[in-house]
Amino acid sequence: MPGLFPRRSNLFGTVVVAASLGAVGFASIGLGAVVVGETRRVDLGQKAAPGIDSIKSQYKRPATIPFPKENPYTPEKAALGKKLYFDTRLSVSMAQSCASCHSPGFGWGDGLAVGVGHGMAKLGRHSPTIVNAAWGAIFMWDGRLATLEEQALGPIEAAGEMNMPLDKLMDRLASINEYKPLFAAAFPGEGMNAKTLAKAIATYERTVVSERAPFDAWIEGNEKAISEEAKRGFAVFNGKAMCSACHEGWNFTNDGFQDIGLPSKDIGRGEFVPGVVKMQHAFKTPGLREIERRSPYMHDGSLDTLEAVVEHYDHGGIDRPSRSDLMKPLGLSAQEKADLVAFMKTLTSNLSPTAVPVIPR
Amino acid sequence: MHKTITFALVILTGLSAGALAANQMVYQKGRVFSSESVSIKKGDALTFVNDDSIPHNLMSATKGSEFNLGSQAPGTSTDVTFKEAGDIQVICAIHPRMKMMVKVTD
Ligand SMILES: [Cu+2]
Repeated sequence: MPGLFPRRSNLFGTVVVAASLGAVGFASIGLGAVVVGETRRVDLGQKAAPGIDSIKSQYKRPATIPFPKENPYTPEKAALGKKLYFDTRLSVSMAQSCASCHSPGFGWGDGLAVGVGHGMAKLGRHSPTIVNAAWGAIFMWDGRLATLEEQALGPIEAAGEMNMPLDKLMDRLASINEYKPLFAAAFPGEGMNAKTLAKAIATYERTVVSERAPFDAWIEGNEKAISEEAKRGFAVFNGKAMCSACHEGWNFTNDGFQDIGLPSKDIGRGEFVPGVVKMQHAFKTPGLREIERRSPYMHDGSLDTLEAVVEHYDHGGIDRPSRSDLMKPLGLSAQEKADLVAFMKTLTSNLSPTAVPVIPR
Repeated sequence: MHKTITFALVILTGLSAGALAANQMVYQKGRVFSSESVSIKKGDALTFVNDDSIPHNLMSATKGSEFNLGSQAPGTSTDVTFKEAGDIQVICAIHPRMKMMVKVTD
């Protein structure tokens, strides 16, 4: 960082920054209602690196699941949502359910590089896990949906995925006698419609939470819960490798969008923020809970193992204007790489089996 | 004009932090804006300081007041002047939880 703006050429440095912003096509230097001025260095003072206890305190599991005010939890909603989640009749072919691509058997993903949609056609991106979706700030790899309720309907309607128009779906569900009392119990007075369908599925999804893993026991003070190798890996994760700059907190994500330099043509978030350079090729940072069960990895499923993922970050990926400033060669040793992988494996819980519900007829 | 002179003087005397005193400051430490909402007078500037440990990318998509700071490195600050009255939402393109409102009054 020092040397970014040489001491004697503050003004010159800022002019360069302003000019490069102009190229973005958004910043209005001297035009329009907003004027972006100079960027200067500021002295933030020397900060001591936080100690291990302070770092560990940022990874404590939350005690409760957050449910939104607009769609509070009820057991009736969650039970109905679970039946809908596993019901293949939500797809036009009657062959695919939400669980087809987000299966409890594969860490709530599908174990494939990229998802498979209508007609078994391959989709463009890896099916993300739904584990800990209750804590999500924004949804889909490219952040195009704002809430889990919207997310629940997205793949149902998408022509390439379940290909099921919502009005047609509601007609189909209305013809299934056993759904009526379930909707009536979950949504008194609201009826069966796309809105209540989305609310039920989202409520069920919010109950899918990664269970306690060895890592959690260590965070809570049991020094024997994870290996020394994994503890060193945690230090690398938060230190030299800076993984925690994006994979932060107990669910190991801040839901931010970053171009991590994968060689893919997909512009991801860039489609929705065309004027912002750093959003081109940027995808949402996934959480890392149950990561060992979620291979292959990355938005395009292009890396098969955690070892390959660590190699990618160590290398830094493709250097292009959109690449995150946090991506750069790390110079990790073989030991540090192995330690990182050992650490990530402590995030695997003993997920108890999920019983497939009896589907209404 | 007055501001420009103040700014130049401060650069000359090397008090870059002091120069910002005239503007209201917005900080970003911990991936959170220091204020959810800030009121300023038309024509005044806010100083957005990245006092966090990672880059942010502040921008607004509010119609007529669009701007984009691009990747703002830790340890830098940028002044943004708002010349039209209205409510302008400022977000970080990278971090979806970072949202604030700038209320520009006549
Ligand atoms: Cu940010």
